[in-house]
Amino acid sequence: MIERLETLWSEVRHRFRALVRRDAVERDLDEELRFHLDRESEKYVRRGASRDAARRYATLAFGGVERIKDDTRDARGIEVAERIVQDARYALRSLRSRPLFGVVVIATLALGVGVNAAMFGVVDRLLFRAPAYLRDPGSVNRVYVTWTTDRGRGWLRIADYAEFADFARWSRSVSQIAAFCHYFSLAVGTGDDLKESPIGIVSASLFDFFDARPVVGRFFTAQEDSVPAGALVAVLGYDYWQRQYAGRRDVLGSTLAIGRATYTVIGVAPKGFEGISDRQPPVAFIPVAAYSSGRSDNARLARLAQPHEWWQNYDSEWLEILVRRRPGVSVDAASADLTNAFRRSWLARAAIEPNLPSLGFASPVALAGPLQLGRGPLADAETRVVVWIGGVAFIVLLIACANVANLLLARALRRRREIAVRHALGGSRRRLIQQLLTETLILAALGGTAGLLVAQASSAVLGRLLLGGTGAFGVLTDWRTLAFSFSLIVFVALVSGIVPALHQGGEHLADSLKAGMREGTYRQSRARTTLLVIQAALSVVLLVGAGLFARSLHQVRSLHFGYDVDPVVYVRTSLRATKLTDAERSALSARLLDETRSIPGVVSASRIVSVPFGTSESRALSAPGADSIRRPGRIMLQAGSSDYFATIGTRIVRGRGLAASDRAGAPPVIVVSASMARALWGTQDPIGKCIRVGGDTMPCRTVVGVAENIKAHDLNGAPELAYYLSVEQRAVLFGPEAPALFVRVAGRADDYVERIRARLQPLMPGASYVMATPLHEKLDVRMRSWNFGATLFLAFGALALGLAAIGLYAVIAFSVAQRAHELGVRIALGAGVSDILRLVVGEGIAFTAAGIVIGGAIALTAGHWVQPLLFDVNASDPLTYTLVAAALMVVGLLASAIPAARATRVDPTVALRTD
Amino acid sequence: MTDEKLDLPQGTLDLLILKALSLEPQHGWAISERLHQVSRATLQIPQGSLYPALHRLERRGWIKAEWGSSDNNRRAKYYDLTRTGRKQLDTETDAWNKLTVAVSLVLGMS
Repeated sequence: MIERLETLWSEVRHRFRALVRRDAVERDLDEELRFHLDRESEKYVRRGASRDAARRYATLAFGGVERIKDDTRDARGIEVAERIVQDARYALRSLRSRPLFGVVVIATLALGVGVNAAMFGVVDRLLFRAPAYLRDPGSVNRVYVTWTTDRGRGWLRIADYAEFADFARWSRSVSQIAAFCHYFSLAVGTGDDLKESPIGIVSASLFDFFDARPVVGRFFTAQEDSVPAGALVAVLGYDYWQRQYAGRRDVLGSTLAIGRATYTVIGVAPKGFEGISDRQPPVAFIPVAAYSSGRSDNARLARLAQPHEWWQNYDSEWLEILVRRRPGVSVDAASADLTNAFRRSWLARAAIEPNLPSLGFASPVALAGPLQLGRGPLADAETRVVVWIGGVAFIVLLIACANVANLLLARALRRRREIAVRHALGGSRRRLIQQLLTETLILAALGGTAGLLVAQASSAVLGRLLLGGTGAFGVLTDWRTLAFSFSLIVFVALVSGIVPALHQGGEHLADSLKAGMREGTYRQSRARTTLLVIQAALSVVLLVGAGLFARSLHQVRSLHFGYDVDPVVYVRTSLRATKLTDAERSALSARLLDETRSIPGVVSASRIVSVPFGTSESRALSAPGADSIRRPGRIMLQAGSSDYFATIGTRIVRGRGLAASDRAGAPPVIVVSASMARALWGTQDPIGKCIRVGGDTMPCRTVVGVAENIKAHDLNGAPELAYYLSVEQRAVLFGPEAPALFVRVAGRADDYVERIRARLQPLMPGASYVMATPLHEKLDVRMRSWNFGATLFLAFGALALGLAAIGLYAVIAFSVAQRAHELGVRIALGAGVSDILRLVVGEGIAFTAAGIVIGGAIALTAGHWVQPLLFDVNASDPLTYTLVAAALMVVGLLASAIPAARATRVDPTVALRTD
Repeated sequence: MTDEKLDLPQGTLDLLILKALSLEPQHGWAISERLHQVSRATLQIPQGSLYPALHRLERRGWIKAEWGSSDNNRRAKYYDLTRTGRKQLDTETDAWNKLTVAVSLVLGMS
């Protein structure tokens, strides 16, 4: 036993010494062997041999010195560690000797790895990552529901409280169920501190899904979240607590105004806890019951035919449902069970809503869907575009790898003699490949590290662009991203190193040594040309994608909305807890309108009730003699002041718009959109026709004008229907809404937003407040997918093209250098400048053309998958393809023209003399 | 040139080296000379192959190396058996003897 240990200790000591004191050990070995050879020679000298002969005999008897040394090193058992160190040193030395090569390779890989690490962060968050602290995410599902209506069938992930309660009561397959709403921004704080912030409205049971403990205080209990009123308690988000309260522990018991009520802080969620947040993390969590009972929608509920409390209400879907399946219950089984519960719920709802479609017609279905929205049936175009962009980033990485492989190949060809000599000296092929792979691994590691920095830097942009404003996300602090990047680095090293390594190992030793620097014939490496063509082809694919998205964005931008977007500011108010009578509301609106009109730079202003691509009002409607509209569907009701059409820029195509004379007592009038006039009366003249708004018993309103069509919900659908009332006449029917305005300004809306808000806020009573935003923000949200699709495809496409250009340039330049001799011969034999140019540029063009053809074919094939993400652009749009082909040709020409120009300057006398 | 690897059965060179060192510390060349002299008629050991073996034995802690001066006053690396090495020599010699006896018994079968 002791001997074993001694042996072991000896091994360790020797290996360690060999590794650490490498030079000393190496010197010792040299000296030892030299001593041996000297003694051996002396022996022969004593026997009468000459010094030289003696030396030769000694060496012969000894065997190959270098080989013996290698074997001895092996015998010391240090080969693995030592070789890596040796290879690494060699790699660093050769990097230092050619810094430009190193910089280009590392920069290329940094970009490749960087964009991938960053995109991984985005895609992971959208599709794969489970919410922080969630216990056993595999058993947790989001509930989706669907049923048939007149307008068809579509998935919904929101339900009302009564539905949630029914699910909780009647589903058998789930062990936990919670309701949450994370997408409301409510007014938080008061006075100058007031800010609209995301609030998590959650059932107390939500916390049970997580292994999270409050850092301070406690979460709220089921008692505090029970009907009818719950308790006004709030749990703060960690970041908000740090930001707003500087992490003070005495925050417990303090109060915070959220929405219309004031809540008492009872706890702080742990760092990173966001509940099931798909967007910005909530600043605070409040009980569903407390929020619901505080909503002053009770007036609206009271107007509904059926008297019921908020917890019995089925008709305002806003809560998402989360369930945990019981152990052993499959997703399908859970879905079936939830569907059962949903059908019972449907019957319960039918009992209080007589107009509800029958169970048979509606055929309601519930689904235990994926936790991540991006994987569920309601995945939005944005998520799909993001996934595409993730794929694009990977293509950029492949191009980067191809480039690096190409550069390594070029260098390998340049080092052929060195490698041949190392071969001849006994370096095994395996050893050479190992060495080259070590070198690529080092390059990849350096590039990858730089890439992580690139990723961290770009995460701020990507986060804002792709994750909906959460800003920079952790790259260097996130182990998933780090692990991914690490595997990328290994991948990169293998992919870009393997081709050159095999290529290098396969060199014919004798040929290389014989050929020397001068080669009469010029061989183009097939590996290199293949890589080049692949690069060009991938660039074409990316650029086609960029072109298609850019064209989509252009189409959306040049879309005629039927109103002006850019010069309009949208002003809305929230009354919070302030109670105003109808008369007071109207008076406040009038005051705000007058004040707005007095602001310099404001052209006109109008009160409104609906916002395109925002919330819009819709009411029951009938037109005697025209029954093509049975259900209200999505007909937008807009109410405006006399300046409405001038303010928003919608043209009146017939009759008149709204006038100041259309007051409450005046004859009721209505302006309809051209599409609505057409839907109701076909080609008949709509002026003078009658429409009843709000029910069949309402008075007849005379159509006095027709406005042009507008787009208010759907960017690519058919023209939408809309009608317009004066605000005073609308208020007679439905009561005044909280004040809201459209303001047309001279100049950019963004410049007026704060000015308008500051002027109006002093007019607001109590805790109520004014918010002003440019109208274009509503549309920007809709254009996001094309916007970032175009931006990122273009950025990555340009990156790919740049890389391909560098690759092409390097290959052509290298081949020119390699062919200097041949070119010299040609020039000496009378070839002119144009011949040489044609020869060299022709080569570059041939590669580029092959790339264009192959890339074009790939893009055409992949086109139909992207088609649904485009806007009014065909995926095989000829213009895009032509432009991309032209761009690539230009790049190919430029990249080969520079070395070609150099080729024409080859001096035959010099070229023929060398080597 | 013949293969550099030993013609000797696996591990035999180690045994020979240990034996050569059991009398007194020696440097590599002297070990080679001794093996050469003692076994001249039968064993061809390429001198170079001695060194990997020496370093392997040193790593295992069976022999230890020390720089000293040789008879012609040059620095030379002397190898000496360690305590473990000596035991190892005994064990291996024993094993070798048993093996040869067994093999010759089998071969001497009539």
